[in-house]
Amino acid sequence: MSQEQSVQLTVDGREVSVPAGSTIMEAVRKLGEIEVPHFCWHPGLSVAGVCRFCMVKIEGVPKLQIACNTEVREGMAVDTIAADVKEAHKWALEFHLINHPLDCPICDQAGECELQNYYMKVGKYTSQMDEDKVLKPKALDVGDTLVLDTERCILCSRCVRFEDEITKTSTLGIFNRGDRAVIGTFPDRRIQHNYSYNLADICPVGAFTAKDFRFQCRVWFLKESESICPGCSTGCNVKVFQNGNSREYFRLKPLENPEVNGHWMCDYGRTQFEHLNVKDRLVSPLGADNSALSWSDAAARFGELVKSQAGADNGKVALVLTPQHTNEEFSAIFSHLKSQLGREPEVFVWREATEERDSFDGILFRGDRNPNTRGLEDTLKELGVSAKECSGLKDVGLSQAQLAVVLGPEVERAYPSLETDLAVLREMPAVVYFGNHRSQAAAGLSLRVPTLVFTEKEGTYVNHAGLKQTLKANARVMPSLKSLTEFLGGA
Amino acid sequence: MPLIKREYNGKSPEDFRLVLDFEGMENPQGIDAYKSKKGYEALTAVLKEKRKPDDLIQLVKDSGLRGRGGAGFPTGLKWGFVPKDAPEKYLLCNFDEGEPGTYKDRYITEISPHMLVEGMVISAYAFGAAKSYVYLRGEFYDEIGWTEKAIREAYDAGFLGENILGSGFTHHMDVYTGSGAYICGEETAMISSLEGKKGQPKLKPPFPAVAGYLGKPTVVNNVETLAVVPWIVRNGAEAYRAFGTEKSPGTKLFNLSGPVKNPGCFEVPLGYPLKRFIEEEGGGLLDGKKLKAVIPGGASAPVLTAEEVENITLDYECLQAAGSMLGSGAVIVIPEDVSMVDVLDNLMHFFKSESCGQCTPCREGTGWLGSMAHSLAAGHGQASDVERVAAIASQMAGKTICAFSDAAAGPAMSIVQKFPHEFQSRFG
Repeated sequence: MSQEQSVQLTVDGREVSVPAGSTIMEAVRKLGEIEVPHFCWHPGLSVAGVCRFCMVKIEGVPKLQIACNTEVREGMAVDTIAADVKEAHKWALEFHLINHPLDCPICDQAGECELQNYYMKVGKYTSQMDEDKVLKPKALDVGDTLVLDTERCILCSRCVRFEDEITKTSTLGIFNRGDRAVIGTFPDRRIQHNYSYNLADICPVGAFTAKDFRFQCRVWFLKESESICPGCSTGCNVKVFQNGNSREYFRLKPLENPEVNGHWMCDYGRTQFEHLNVKDRLVSPLGADNSALSWSDAAARFGELVKSQAGADNGKVALVLTPQHTNEEFSAIFSHLKSQLGREPEVFVWREATEERDSFDGILFRGDRNPNTRGLEDTLKELGVSAKECSGLKDVGLSQAQLAVVLGPEVERAYPSLETDLAVLREMPAVVYFGNHRSQAAAGLSLRVPTLVFTEKEGTYVNHAGLKQTLKANARVMPSLKSLTEFLGGA
Repeated sequence: MPLIKREYNGKSPEDFRLVLDFEGMENPQGIDAYKSKKGYEALTAVLKEKRKPDDLIQLVKDSGLRGRGGAGFPTGLKWGFVPKDAPEKYLLCNFDEGEPGTYKDRYITEISPHMLVEGMVISAYAFGAAKSYVYLRGEFYDEIGWTEKAIREAYDAGFLGENILGSGFTHHMDVYTGSGAYICGEETAMISSLEGKKGQPKLKPPFPAVAGYLGKPTVVNNVETLAVVPWIVRNGAEAYRAFGTEKSPGTKLFNLSGPVKNPGCFEVPLGYPLKRFIEEEGGGLLDGKKLKAVIPGGASAPVLTAEEVENITLDYECLQAAGSMLGSGAVIVIPEDVSMVDVLDNLMHFFKSESCGQCTPCREGTGWLGSMAHSLAAGHGQASDVERVAAIASQMAGKTICAFSDAAAGPAMSIVQKFPHEFQSRFG
């Protein structure tokens, strides 16, 4: 059977064409307008067919069939809204709920729980359950990042399949049988890998909750926006969750992109919201004495520092770039300096000395912990600049420069040797440091200018494979913050 | 002597000894005893005459042999589904015999384990399997020993191993013991268990004939099915069809239990009247008790009332038409002084404890029915509970990966529908 062969079928009278070998679930997803309720099916995992929720009626087939494991046939007529289908959906939901603790008021999943959502969409019955519920272990510490409530679990086995198929760690199993069946870790095992938060994502209920998000915020207060993870050169597409009022960031989750990250992201990437919040941010420009400067004073001082080096016979000016900013920012700062100096600054690419740039875990996480290594290379090429790549700043001849303009790393965790490198900068005659951290490490430099973070700016990252991805701008945590181009415009 | 008592369809009782031919013989288990009554002649003929595997499949198709584990699927058809060109195939013998009331497979190996071994080698030859496993219920300590001994003897006699009887056909056989799960009698759960996984049925498609044990084409047949294959090879399809009905040819072992005078394992031609079976072979109920109900095919078969029993014949089609099933052939007799509320409680307790827990309607439904049946039996029930039992059971049926959910729902539904008056007297 060739891949090109396609099969035509109808779902609730609507025609759809899918590749031969597809399932009804895939055909329904392609159609988009119709939803077949499901718990155990997940597009990134193998088919389990155990929740028995996705029942559909197929013309000519006596019994209802599950959409997730039924292959499409030419001319098949699928019905997702017939009375017996709806009845089956209601009952499937009832079976899922009879032993569920219904502790939604204290459950972090509330608001994004598939049990809750489906109850509103296809349930709305009066429960027939009058018997005692089965009790199971709660609040289990199953790993550094996750808490497990086995009572909330609906035994969809998504997490078991994730551990078996994606991370191949096989930490989880379903133990015992019948209504005593319980999700759990194998003896003496913990969920210890760099993809653990995905388990909380794919858990349709609140069985797995993330330790860093438990009891932090109700999900309905969070605004969701799309972005690109700055954690490494893979460039996973992410959803950023920010409180609509306080603008505080709470978490990142993966955004499906089959070309980049599929359905997943790593735990290191998940921490990339931590540097976004105002408590850690540099929010106003600082002078050499660490005193706050107004944006206009800072721009004026930057202008003076650059002009003092203008002209061909003046001292060397170094532009130090880290691959953590957008193509547009690289280009803007270079062009600004070139026009102000009347000559090109000497460009250095500052990389972390200890990085294992080519390492890759086989799933998503790369040793190049910069989101825009390729973008920086491409931009420099376009500008016709040959830059000097330095592994750390220790051995670099920057000290001969009279002025260094530095676009420091946005994610300082990716630069464990930052302190040593900043010490090199501190010995230079004049340094303008663009960064977003309030850290003391950069104290004493001539001028420190706050930058925006990846969720606040528009621009381009190019990932390890050369894929260009665009950042979208959210509201800035402090309205007074300025983008690099806005700052340069005033300088 | 568990034979039928008198002439049936023009045949004398002694004629109905296809599987239990060795019954009554002194020390029938050994290979010499087996060979003294045509044992291994069928296999020898097949291999020496270099019979075409396809001809054997056709022979079994023509005989009309249906799976004796419970589902009654045509055996020859099942073998025919196996891809011819697959390099690695497996035969699994389902000896998990867990259906409550059933003890026919263990009886076969008690009397003639070699009949199973010979049947397995012929079957494996028919669809080209070089390896077979007898998946044996772990609690059957004696049967494990008997079967392993028979396999060893067959190896020693050259009926198993490399190049059997110089034919070029190689076949190896092993016993694998289960760990106490009823569900492992379901063929895909058995495969999971044999693969070292938790014994849970697998999603179908793919079916085992295409992708079974270790993902390779696999046939799973019941002990009784395999044990009768040598007889069919020796005597031909027509001879086999001389027994039973058109759609249910042959004989079958039935296990009679309950308060009857003469319980036991009987070889009976299919189509035999149930009433006659209970009264003549079983000798009727003890102490002159009246019959209330019969579970005709093991715990999974919906119950029949005493009135329904009058016209039932023991074959696949009659019992199916009556809304029940022939199942494993375990006929459980329920007398007038046993409450159907307690029967429901007993059965639902079993299904609650044995559901593998994989599919939601079964996992939650069996647990729910178990609790409800228990509270009804304890006298805490009310009228609406009986309706709920029927509603839950109807939503469990036909909604899961395997037939376990139906197996629990059928008896529950039949009991509350056929004996509603018995519940009323127990309401709290």
